[in-house]
Amino acid sequence: MTESSEPTTARPTDALDPRSGIGGDWSPLADAARLLFAGGGALLVAIAGLVAAIALTAWLDPGMGVGAALLGLLPLIGAAVGWRIGTRRWQHTRWRLDSDGFALRRGRLWQRETRVPIARVQHLDLKRGPLERRRGLATLVLHTAGSQAGTVGVGGLALADAEALRDRLMRAPGAALADADNDAP
Amino acid sequence: MRPEAPATSQGGAGIAPERRLHPWSWLFTLLQQLKQFALPLLILLFTGRGDGNELWPLIGVAALVVVSLLRYFTYRYRIEADRLVIREGWLQRSRREVPFARIHNVALDQSLLHRLFGVAEVRLESAGGKKPEAQMRVLRLDQALALEALVRGRSSRAAPASAETEDLLLLQLPPAEVLKLGLLSDRGLVLAVAGFAALSQFSPRLLPNVVEMFGRRILGWIDLHSASPTRYTLGALAVVLAAVIGLRLLSVLLAWLQYHGFSLRESTTGRLTVERGLLTRWRSSAPRGRIQAWTLREGLLHRWLRRRALQVDTAVSDPGNASRALKEIAPIATPAACDALIEHLLPDAGWRALDWQPLHRGSAWRIAIPGVAFGLVLTTAATWRFGSLGLLALLWLPWAIVSALAHARRAGFACNDRLVAVRGGWWSRHWRFAEIAALQTLRLSRTPLDRRLGTATLMLDTTGTSALGPPLRIRFVSEPTLADLFARLSRQLGQLR
Repeated sequence: MTESSEPTTARPTDALDPRSGIGGDWSPLADAARLLFAGGGALLVAIAGLVAAIALTAWLDPGMGVGAALLGLLPLIGAAVGWRIGTRRWQHTRWRLDSDGFALRRGRLWQRETRVPIARVQHLDLKRGPLERRRGLATLVLHTAGSQAGTVGVGGLALADAEALRDRLMRAPGAALADADNDAP
Repeated sequence: MRPEAPATSQGGAGIAPERRLHPWSWLFTLLQQLKQFALPLLILLFTGRGDGNELWPLIGVAALVVVSLLRYFTYRYRIEADRLVIREGWLQRSRREVPFARIHNVALDQSLLHRLFGVAEVRLESAGGKKPEAQMRVLRLDQALALEALVRGRSSRAAPASAETEDLLLLQLPPAEVLKLGLLSDRGLVLAVAGFAALSQFSPRLLPNVVEMFGRRILGWIDLHSASPTRYTLGALAVVLAAVIGLRLLSVLLAWLQYHGFSLRESTTGRLTVERGLLTRWRSSAPRGRIQAWTLREGLLHRWLRRRALQVDTAVSDPGNASRALKEIAPIATPAACDALIEHLLPDAGWRALDWQPLHRGSAWRIAIPGVAFGLVLTTAATWRFGSLGLLALLWLPWAIVSALAHARRAGFACNDRLVAVRGGWWSRHWRFAEIAALQTLRLSRTPLDRRLGTATLMLDTTGTSALGPPLRIRFVSEPTLADLFARLSRQLGQLR
């Protein structure tokens, strides 16, 4: 569910909290999001494991016992691996908002840092799925005019952080095509 | 023939006359709608089975004719003091008002058929619109020109209405250059492949039949019974050569049709317009400031003929009509002319004085990885299929390594206050650059291998990039250098407002 505004009870003040990612240092994702990341990863890889198990049993055509073991074991192993992957993904995501724009860091083995200048944010979405809503989280998606990295999204933010980011990013006048009004036929 | 001035309303004293489209516009609307069904309809008509089934398409065509006629009869437009009012429709009536100030581009299209009838299709586009604000198919040529002049006069903020004579001619391609363009391009191959693919949908035996026919004809000159291996090879080579020459001739023909009379002009307001075409005249234009990124290409054939090609990405306001956007501003030009054009369009950006930085030393073997992997896979497959003869495929490996070394030597990047540029390639060289002010998102990434070797990859995003061109991406460069560049660019972009 995507919302553009929602009344909240607790809002961050404009004073910059050095612990928060806004104007401060690199901020991790919310603690409450850890379970969501881990669970989501476990589910995905478990389903992949199930599909692989089905394909293997169909191809190899073993006996009943081996087939059942395969069908039971592969998804379980997949779930465990996915849990670990999801947790690590949650652990190694950092974000911040500074004078240059929004920055997002992901990963430990495959590292990636993305920077979106404030002036380039055309519009943004604040999304909250049912699980996120129950835990007070939100997903922020920034849209730019770019073609390869036109959409930058980060999930698992605390709702207060996400709304503060939205307010700050939408405050500065963003114009991706700065001379859109200067055309003459 | 001077365009007649259309009558306009004088501030409320009398309504402006209602005008209608050209009497033959129903034909053009019909043709436009038929274009989508043209090929299948033709195939059906020509390969019809002879039973009653071939009459069904005609009913569809008849319905389209009726719709087009209806549109002609119900379309009315009026030119008022500050806007255009269009009424159309019979069952579903619509009335649209287009203020002149909102119109940012007037496009006139004339195909050969249009020119035969003396008409033109007029499109009025606004900035940021997905579809044209108004599309008139078709108007009489003098009326179309008058409308275009009127709209330009009413919506331009600058004074000159006679902008045509003050346009600066930046590039013009004489016929010899268009010929060279045809020789250099592989449009013929692309078209032939597409044509075969399309026709094969309807006649699956078409491609094998054609190949067989040609092969038999050419090889029939060689008496197969008494042919030695050398004559057989010669015959095969002759077939291949004939195919290549035929495709190049097709390319030349296509280039002649599409790029004849190519001209690039710049108006006093900084608007670039490209006009080209022999039978159908294409005209696309964009303000200079809308250019997001540039690609300069030099293929192997380009180098032999001492030419290059310059393309730009523009921020397209109508993604569905991307083919009409300004893309090729110099399809073929000498290297000096290309540099001069870039210097003219990017004054004081220092294009010629860029300081190119090389890749991190020892990156050649990383560039070779995909080639070597492909060679190994090829060898495995060939050996599995052909036995020990397949080991000849190992010859791919030294080639991949040589190619990677050459790529690594030529690749590089450069960055000054206004531009950031990447260059690469070996046989087919390219330079890709953009103004820093046009960059969108920046991304610095490192794979585990990057982290071990101390390099990184910097990707710079711009608007309107096509998936086919080289990306604006700096790879295999030492990490501290790229991190500095990353910080510098993000600081510069952060100061934009």
